[in-house]
Amino acid sequence: MGIVELQNVRKVYPLGKVQVEAVKGVSFCIEKGDFISIAGPSGSGKTTILNMVGLVDQPTEGEVFLDGKPTSGLKDAELTRLRHETLGFIFQSFNLIPVLNVWENIEFPLLLGKTRVGKDEKKEWIDHLIEEVGLSEWRKHKPNELSGGQRQRVAIARALVTRPQIVLADEPTANLDSATGEQILELMKKINRELETTFIFSTHDARIVDIADHIIRLRDGLVTENRRRDEPAAEACAAGAAGVGVRGARAGA
Amino acid sequence: MNTIANIALRNLSRQKKRTILLGSAIAFGVMIVTLINGFAGAFSANVAENFSDLMAGHIFISGTEKGPDDKDVSVIRDDRALTSAVAASGAPIRYVTRRSAFSGTLIFEGKKLRTNVDGADLEKETFLRDRLLLKAGSWDAMAEGNALILSEKIARKLNVDVGDNLLVQLQTATGQNNVGEFRLAGISFDTGIFGQMMSYANLAYVNELLGLAPGEYQTMGIMLDGLKHTESAAAGIYDKLSGSVQLFERGAKGSDGAETPFQALIRQQKKESWEGVRYRLFTINEVLSQIKQIVAALDTTAAVILVVLFVIIMVGIANTFSMVMFERIGEIGTMRALGVQRGGVRSMFLFEALFLALGGAVAGIALALVAMGVISLFDFGMDSPAFLIMRNGHLSFFLPPLRAVGNVAIIAVLTLIAVASPAGKAARLTPAEALRTQK
Ligand SMILES: Nc1ncnc2c1ncn2[C@@H]1O[C@H](COP(=O)(O)OP(=O)(O)OP(=O)(O)O)[C@@H](O)[C@H]1O
Ligand SMILES: [Mg+2]
Repeated sequence: MGIVELQNVRKVYPLGKVQVEAVKGVSFCIEKGDFISIAGPSGSGKTTILNMVGLVDQPTEGEVFLDGKPTSGLKDAELTRLRHETLGFIFQSFNLIPVLNVWENIEFPLLLGKTRVGKDEKKEWIDHLIEEVGLSEWRKHKPNELSGGQRQRVAIARALVTRPQIVLADEPTANLDSATGEQILELMKKINRELETTFIFSTHDARIVDIADHIIRLRDGLVTENRRRDEPAAEACAAGAAGVGVRGARAGA
Repeated sequence: MNTIANIALRNLSRQKKRTILLGSAIAFGVMIVTLINGFAGAFSANVAENFSDLMAGHIFISGTEKGPDDKDVSVIRDDRALTSAVAASGAPIRYVTRRSAFSGTLIFEGKKLRTNVDGADLEKETFLRDRLLLKAGSWDAMAEGNALILSEKIARKLNVDVGDNLLVQLQTATGQNNVGEFRLAGISFDTGIFGQMMSYANLAYVNELLGLAPGEYQTMGIMLDGLKHTESAAAGIYDKLSGSVQLFERGAKGSDGAETPFQALIRQQKKESWEGVRYRLFTINEVLSQIKQIVAALDTTAAVILVVLFVIIMVGIANTFSMVMFERIGEIGTMRALGVQRGGVRSMFLFEALFLALGGAVAGIALALVAMGVISLFDFGMDSPAFLIMRNGHLSFFLPPLRAVGNVAIIAVLTLIAVASPAGKAARLTPAEALRTQK
């Protein structure tokens, strides 16, 4: 059973009088601990899909399962709580909070929600993450004093601080030069192995998908390729949450 | 919650110019309103204190006797009962004055002028010498029995000089016409409207003119340690008096009653008849009940200015925060994605506005206090036409603390109302929308 499962997901945006069908019926299954790349050209629906997986947006049709549980029909407050508890986010333009320094930015998610972490435990964990992303010297600096690569490292640490099961990264390297982008991906991959956190990142750069265990290619809101590394096609999730038989996305087009 | 408040506070320092501009607008408004409040707060106390000085007391006891033809005669013949009641009351008394007064016509070389003349025991009322600054003549000349001190204005109108003799026409206490002669001993500086009307003579001579015996007088003035003791001391003295002498009912204390104390007195005197002297006790507050209305008007004006000023400032705040919402739309999306609830986003904006309002308001009050301090350093002199509203020639202020707190609260509430709509919009954004809209 996958940690993330999409069943026949459609997303239609009203755009004035016309309807834009950004995602046209997508199903796939993601295994826990995988490093997944969602690849596709601009406008293919990567952001739309990641938003729905990340519960910041809802499908027009179909169902998104997180850890086997359906997420449609949940109230905003419940979705927010789920995001906080199970998901981490890394953004293309870093999206750090400008008035908080490095340490505080990483700490921020821990100050939300109900669960309180012990002070020493928290400090130890944040310091560990800062070291992990190589920013020990920069903990008191504000985001605008950091380079793009450094900012994205802060964002990675922030995404991990709540020990989420899944980290979503929408084009995390798009605003970085290719060398820095590679380092960022390497870092994500390293954490993926160490913490067994599921990483889902999107990219429109066909060259950097090789690092992934599982590649989902999109074009015009449809899946064109869905395969695990060294396998011709990804198999379907074992069983749907509601006990319904689940189709895996078909490989190739 | 304090994470959100903390971020809100830091957000204020992001656009320093904008924050300072809005904060200054709030501070300026609060300063103006606080100054008016402070002025109004001191106004009634100053006027009352100054009148107390001019009238020589905070509490007054006058005597009334039924004369021939049932006419009221204002006289205190024997004040032993009064003196012991005043002493027994334990009121904090600075001094007691005994005065008789008449309103008569002064005549000098064909010029006539109607004025009040207060007869005071100048041997005992030494404070009057400090109070009344002489422009010409001397207090020593008051030793002469029929000496008179006129204000500058009256002396000029009559064209009299120190040493001149003036005739006076008046009615005695029982209503008989009488004539006397004064010798001008001194001319005093004008001190406001009321000061201009005050002329002083020796009590013994005024009594003689009024047809009263030596040792008698008309009004006892009781000067207390301060205005604030007035009502409690008056109640205490009235209580002690009520056992030993005949008393008129005290008029309604406040200014709210339809009937003024004087009207009440006249009504009672008309209807009733009695033997011997009947006493009436009244206070400076009753005499000056209209002052309270002026203060209320000032405070209302301040409130109106506060509201008008802040409606304008509110529009500015509402616009600014709408802008701020769009500037920070990406941040809102980020925070929502990371797990900040809708209420958190709303609170962040409300906190930011609240801190701005509180900072501005506190700065405004501080500025007003500094301004009050500086303004009250100016010496306008005792002869200023605005003398009555000042304290020893200085403008003074008293800011009731509750009013200051109230103003801050009003501003806080108005600001929160102004920001409610942009804060609500920010809270209702879906995270996907907010993240997509960011630059
Ligand atoms: N809120 C929206 N309203 C209308 N159309 C939208 C909205 N969001 C996305 N779209 C459209 O949906 C389609 C898919 O958009 P999406 O952002 O998911 O693509 P993407 O693969 O992330 O592209 P990029 O690589 O440029 O980020 C596009 O045609 C886009 O214009
Ligand atoms: Mg995108």
